[in-house]
Amino acid sequence: MAFALELGGVNKFFGGVHAVNDMSFILQEGELAGLIGPNGAGKTTIFNLVTGVYDVSSGHITFFGEDITNHKTYEVVRKGIARTFQNLRLFASATVLENVMTACQQHHRYSFLEACTHLGRWRSVEREIRDRSMTLLERVGLADRADQTATTLPYGHQRRLEIARALALEPRLLLLDEPAAGMNPEEVQDLNRLIQKIHADFGLTILVIEHHMELVMEICPHIVCMNFGALIAEGDPEHIQGHPEVLKAYLGEEVEE
Amino acid sequence: MGTLLQQIINGLSLGSVYALIAVGYSLVYSILLFSNFAHGSFLVIGGYSCYFALKTLGMNIWLAGGLSLLAAGASAILTERLAYKPIRERTNVTLYLLIASMGMSIVIENIFVVTVGGRFRALPPVIPTDPVNLFGLATTSAFDLISLVVAVICLGGLQIFLTRTKWGLAIRAAAYNLRIAGLMGVNVSRLISLVFFVAGVLAAVGGIFLSVRYTLYPQLGGITIKAFVAAVIGGLGSLPGAVVGSLILGLAEMLTAGFISSQLRDLVVFSLLVITLLFRPTGLFGKSVGEKI
Amino acid sequence: MSAYTEGIITLLMINAIAAMGVCLLTGFTGVFTLGHAAYMALGGYATAILTVKYHLHWLPAVVAGGILAIVVAYVIGIPTLKLMGDYYAIASIGLGEAIRLILENWQSVTRGARGYPGIPTFTTMPVAVGFFLVLAFLLFCLLNGSYGRMFKACRDDHIAAALLGYDTARVRVLSLVLSAFYCGVSGGLLAGFLSFIQPVMFDMLKSTELTAVVVFGGLGSLSGCLLGTTIITLVTELFRPISQYRMLIYGAVLVIIMVLRPEGIMGQYEFGPKLFRKLFGRKAPAQERR
Repeated sequence: MAFALELGGVNKFFGGVHAVNDMSFILQEGELAGLIGPNGAGKTTIFNLVTGVYDVSSGHITFFGEDITNHKTYEVVRKGIARTFQNLRLFASATVLENVMTACQQHHRYSFLEACTHLGRWRSVEREIRDRSMTLLERVGLADRADQTATTLPYGHQRRLEIARALALEPRLLLLDEPAAGMNPEEVQDLNRLIQKIHADFGLTILVIEHHMELVMEICPHIVCMNFGALIAEGDPEHIQGHPEVLKAYLGEEVEE
Repeated sequence: MGTLLQQIINGLSLGSVYALIAVGYSLVYSILLFSNFAHGSFLVIGGYSCYFALKTLGMNIWLAGGLSLLAAGASAILTERLAYKPIRERTNVTLYLLIASMGMSIVIENIFVVTVGGRFRALPPVIPTDPVNLFGLATTSAFDLISLVVAVICLGGLQIFLTRTKWGLAIRAAAYNLRIAGLMGVNVSRLISLVFFVAGVLAAVGGIFLSVRYTLYPQLGGITIKAFVAAVIGGLGSLPGAVVGSLILGLAEMLTAGFISSQLRDLVVFSLLVITLLFRPTGLFGKSVGEKI
Repeated sequence: MSAYTEGIITLLMINAIAAMGVCLLTGFTGVFTLGHAAYMALGGYATAILTVKYHLHWLPAVVAGGILAIVVAYVIGIPTLKLMGDYYAIASIGLGEAIRLILENWQSVTRGARGYPGIPTFTTMPVAVGFFLVLAFLLFCLLNGSYGRMFKACRDDHIAAALLGYDTARVRVLSLVLSAFYCGVSGGLLAGFLSFIQPVMFDMLKSTELTAVVVFGGLGSLSGCLLGTTIITLVTELFRPISQYRMLIYGAVLVIIMVLRPEGIMGQYEFGPKLFRKLFGRKAPAQERR
């Protein structure tokens, strides 16, 4: 059985900066894993490399056995990877529902001719796109705001919308980039429940970048920790919590008197 | 051989004038990351101010030139304050700035059309155009040599300004990252005005030489499209790139006009643009602006 | 209805078709163009040559004009639309000028700068209105569905769009190609209206007018662009005596709109229930809003 995601010896240089340093890890199918590390560790860069936003400087990335290294973004996405963003990237001119529909329509198509005339399958396919999108909105608790302009939502809701939009792509691997950023502890708990529910209901492989320890430690049985672009620890929450390198990365070194 | 050398000198001379325009345009682009389509109008303002200073006010070329530089620089600042600043402060959609710049370009050009009329005007012959014999190898006009020399002096002056002065350093920092430069204490508003002033001044110098070469008319600013092409070839945002691109363009134009056909000059210019976009879209020295994703 | 009024309406229909094309590209897909008059020129000349020299019926001739525009747009679009930002804008100016130069210099085919006379006047008011209604319907339907959402996504955030699996370069090319078709057909109809075309009719003034109309009406609103076309066409006619000020006014309109109300008259709204509610509806109760 192929691994959901495999990184092998991935390096990325931005000019002289060694942003990702010989990263290798494996995600099994159906895992819910966490990618943690202090700011600037290179976590989002990993997402960008996987989704083809950047090209790797060396190394390889495979997705269910298929090599996706340096493939174009839209190709990678079409193979079944979806992501959310650290700095929210919703479509500002569209409503909440339209944002999700824009993703959902990738799997429900009609021909150009049907699109120009609204004949044939247009009506039924449009309805299907709308219904499926509404269902996803219901799942994340945004159904009552479907016709609001996406950027007028409160911050936490916008994050949930991005998740709904990513789910509409029916991905096999979901990458969540700091989904809990800017949330208070109560909201983080809600998010935890949502992620776990999505994981159970859809049977997805999920990789979460997070800063919030509460989220990651609670729901991710498999955690990868990075610092300065390199892997410093990998294992279950207990292992990570006690790992000296991890403590050093987050809390700094103890000064020996 | 003589003709070839002649055309090369013509090409370098034309290219150096393009360089003055392209550099100003690239300078604004490197700071604000948008194409100021109104750049050509500063050129026209420079040309007309010089013309009227010479004809109506009877000044000598130095005074007239100085006046036109100031006029162009001031209009550049005014354009920025009136049209771009309000948009910039409200949104970061560069499309709106693009459209506004196009609008300004049309407005300024047509202000001249309706006030002074669209007919061609020849500048009084204050810049000598007599033929000059170069070491017996070729004859070229004094005008070409002078414009080449003046362009070199201006660009050299700009280089010194950028590398040796405090404001020059601020501009280079802002070209790298405007917001951070602001956070580091640079007065962004004043910096932008300064950049526009410099761009306007350079355009005016180019405008004066172009008016002598091609006669003066309101649509002369249209020649800026060639400077844009030069900037793209050299790499948008890169000043040395703008110079190199301009020289290449000037040479290509003159060599085509001299040896193939004068009609095809402009086609050659646009073909160079297409070729650049096809094979090396960021231009020779261009910086690709990376977004933080 | 007098011949004069019929003429105005016909001209309005012709302008509206071209404006819809530019609206699709600039308003809905976010690609700024200043050279779309070139596609009108291609359509116009193709139609002229086919009807005059080859005695083709005007209907296939006009469509052929549109198709020629499509082909040229496709060839130009592939390299230039890969890039973001200002590159296409500059390239579009260059293209517009290049096409005009070719038309002026290829005397044997196009009769050069003097123009191409003797085109049959097939563009009567019913013909123009007919074309307009069909093309407007098709575009309106297209924009109200998957394709519309796709264009807008690529406009609003091309990276997010790529991360939804859209090949944004190809989306932009599709938009360009469609917009070129509309401009090509418009040019063909113009040829059949004026019975005579010249390269200078398709210069920067025309291109700018197209963009100004779309910006004025509202980037992202099809009905806005039609409203804008109507206003500008009528104003142009009414102010014919001061036509030398036309360009000045277009330019000023562009600047003023961008500074005061960049979303144009209609903003993102189309004529319809949503707009009606926004203008005349009761203020939504607080609970509904946030």
